[in-house]
Amino acid sequence: MGSRASVGAVQAQERRLFAAGVKDYRETYWTPDYQPADTDVLALFRITPQHDVPPEEVAAAVAAESSTGTWTSVWTDHLTTLERYQARAYALEAVPGRDNEWFAYVAYPLDLFEEGSVVSMMASITGNVFGFKAIRALRLEDLRIPVAYVKTCTGPPNGIQVERDRLNKYGRPLLGATLKPKLGLSAKNYGRACFELLSGGLDFTKDDENITSQPFMRWRDRYLFVMEAVCKAEDQTGERKGHYLNVTAADTEQMLERAEYAKELGSPIVMHDFLVGGFTAHQTLSNWCRRNGMLLHVHRALHAVIDRQKSHGVHYRVLAKWLRLAGGDHLHSGTVVGKLEGDREATLGVLDLLREDYVPADRARGIYFDQRWASLPGVFPAASGGIHVWHMPDLVDIFGDDSVLQFGGGSAGHPWGSRAGAHANRVALEACVQARNEGRELATEGTEVLKKAASRSPELATALDTWREIRFDFDTVDTLDPVA
Amino acid sequence: MRHETFSYLPELDDAEIEAQIRSILDRGLVVAIEHTREPSAYDHYWTLWKLPLFEITNPVDVLSELDECRRENPDAYIRLNGYDRRRQGQVLAFVVHRPAHAAVV
Repeated sequence: MGSRASVGAVQAQERRLFAAGVKDYRETYWTPDYQPADTDVLALFRITPQHDVPPEEVAAAVAAESSTGTWTSVWTDHLTTLERYQARAYALEAVPGRDNEWFAYVAYPLDLFEEGSVVSMMASITGNVFGFKAIRALRLEDLRIPVAYVKTCTGPPNGIQVERDRLNKYGRPLLGATLKPKLGLSAKNYGRACFELLSGGLDFTKDDENITSQPFMRWRDRYLFVMEAVCKAEDQTGERKGHYLNVTAADTEQMLERAEYAKELGSPIVMHDFLVGGFTAHQTLSNWCRRNGMLLHVHRALHAVIDRQKSHGVHYRVLAKWLRLAGGDHLHSGTVVGKLEGDREATLGVLDLLREDYVPADRARGIYFDQRWASLPGVFPAASGGIHVWHMPDLVDIFGDDSVLQFGGGSAGHPWGSRAGAHANRVALEACVQARNEGRELATEGTEVLKKAASRSPELATALDTWREIRFDFDTVDTLDPVA
Repeated sequence: MRHETFSYLPELDDAEIEAQIRSILDRGLVVAIEHTREPSAYDHYWTLWKLPLFEITNPVDVLSELDECRRENPDAYIRLNGYDRRRQGQVLAFVVHRPAHAAVV
């Protein structure tokens, strides 16, 4: 078919349709008149353009490069209807009080993401745009996940209510502790530390993220001794106990082997480090937990590398949303008090995103989109890091009942040992809950509440004396923006 | 032995129990009373005292039900539960009576 002359005619026609070369992103991807659909994934980026690059062009570039666009026109664009798949930058505003920073809103059509796959959404939205040369810095501040997508995800394997019902624990925050020293104990001595804390009054003990299966303590030995401690503490106290057995491993086969063994030994809960383990491994474990009735505690090593800098990275509220989609029953989520970074209002916003079914936009908490979870179960936020009995009134006030408060050093550092330290924390917690229910203000009357409880608990009195002067007063690196 | 919330505090007296009941009713929760002679960490269902107290809005009426339950079951552990209709689940439980041999120390 085709003479030399007719081939030439077709090529001439194609040249008219397909203009090779580079065109400005904003011609296609900056659409300020666009009305986002209920099914769109909406993203808010904080953009710092390179000097002399207009913000519309940069916002459009982010939309383009995280969806259908690339740096040059390609002939295969004409084999599809790009309007159906392209992301759209639809709004832009200067960040109040910041030089050369812009909030750019981008809408992504639902079909860009594989159903039930946080990995797919992450790869699209955080793909190459974060290294784009036209941008000095880029931060994903918030993400609206449409109900249509939420319903394709399984979410937390159990959720807050199921965990409370299973463990018979109601009307108070749960108490935990990370075992210290983090590294170097033998399996038998590690189990001893666990037993002292649980029999003293804590609900959970925890492997630190560093503990996997090192030469000084292989995982199988640890699981055996720890589960003896858990069972014995349950016998002694008449309360359900658990230890977050870390199943984070070098590969998913080993991860599942460890999880299976934890279940076989009767552990109610396992632990995974979702960012270092990766979302694929995490989703596999979350599915396994749902199938096997196991609780899933989620650690967050690596998060501050991604989320701490104000102008670049991914805010923790987005990582927390992805985790709720992928599944977890507890998630570390900032403490406000204590030794680790966490702005109060931003942390409160993350707590809502983990626990509530509907979270309205509230810029004062850094929440830019309404988020509906459509009955996806809630996640217990876990507070940890440099907290002790003096923080208890604030923690109960800030976190409320549906939380896990973790006192590692704040339990084992008690002068009389871990058992007394755990006991002191439990007394302080229950005194605060009782006072709160009686209508007292923990924020202002907390000291009085603790002192009264200490008058009837020598363990608490000694703990209050030990940690009186410890404070961690440093400026917050990642502050919220003023509401314009 | 301990039995969950408030079991690390000295035994609540009647005034303290009443204050807790008031907070339960103020939150719009439904109160129920249940009892057992052999509590266990793995036992989710103690014997229910009558039906949950759906109609009761006055803490004094809960206390009088509690007294009646105590008189009939002096050797039992008795606890108060709170149910949240909106959340469709139990949100509170604490022991308000222990047999004489099991007093908290």
